[in-house]
Amino acid sequence: MSLALEICRITEEHVGTARLGDVRVVALEVGDDAGVERANLEFCLEALLGSPPFGAARPVIEPAPGDVFRVKYLEVEDDGPDDRRT
Amino acid sequence: MTVRTIDVRERVMTRNDELAADVRARLAAAGVPSFNLVSSPGSGKTLLLERTLERLGDRLRIAVVTGDVQTQNDADRLAAHTDRLVQAVVTNGACHLDARQVTSALEAIDLEDTDLLFVENVGNLVCPASWDLGETAKVVVFSVTEGEDKPVKYPKMFRMARYAVLNKVDLLPYLDFDVDRAVAFAREVNPDLRFFLTSARTGEGLDEWTAFLQSQVPSTVTT
Repeated sequence: MSLALEICRITEEHVGTARLGDVRVVALEVGDDAGVERANLEFCLEALLGSPPFGAARPVIEPAPGDVFRVKYLEVEDDGPDDRRT
Repeated sequence: MTVRTIDVRERVMTRNDELAADVRARLAAAGVPSFNLVSSPGSGKTLLLERTLERLGDRLRIAVVTGDVQTQNDADRLAAHTDRLVQAVVTNGACHLDARQVTSALEAIDLEDTDLLFVENVGNLVCPASWDLGETAKVVVFSVTEGEDKPVKYPKMFRMARYAVLNKVDLLPYLDFDVDRAVAFAREVNPDLRFFLTSARTGEGLDEWTAFLQSQVPSTVTT
């Protein structure tokens, strides 16, 4: 849960407190050696991202090599320009 | 309304690790070794610290930061064994200490007037393993009333620790706990782990433990 809370803090840092309700996806990369149980992290994130101050965000967890553990990208509902090509 | 993608690519632990590096640099500059005591709840780390303060308190200037989910009971217990400040951090639900909390706690501690720092983490063998507090080393404390296979059940904690204290050895005659098996499990995860077998209740093994701690303090190291 503590790691999930830290991910929420990083999300808030990038979108601002007022926009947390507009976040739709929080995408992560988690390596096999990161010491993180993906299913548990996903469960905790679903609980946090599905309740205020978030609206209806969901976690997406992608496998990664080694001990990588990072927030990869966010999807936010707005009309601003994309940072990346999908 | 469309959906915009924001590239982040930020390590989850970046902020904590930066603060931990600052803590480590401050402690190194002051020549203060620091030990982060991590364990499951009830392993006896508070009693171990009480006995440590009793034995070393007149020789070393020891500062303590304690972390508890609720209450400052541990800090109150420890304060009875030292005239020095025991900093209590109540995490209000969080299951571990983080480097930001230790940074705040250090504001009240005069490091120039400190020989040794203990951080007593929240009792939890999972989350504290992921959070660097800027300590010299993690010391994982477990006890003979727990299973021998704790090290392989919680491998990250035992991998991140440099020292292990197996506590409550006075209870061994009454239990089926196999010390050699527990040590073997731990070494399977971390071959370099140094072990101390202690009973904080009877004092068994505490001479070796306190001698080790004293040897870690630069001002007391003899060449």
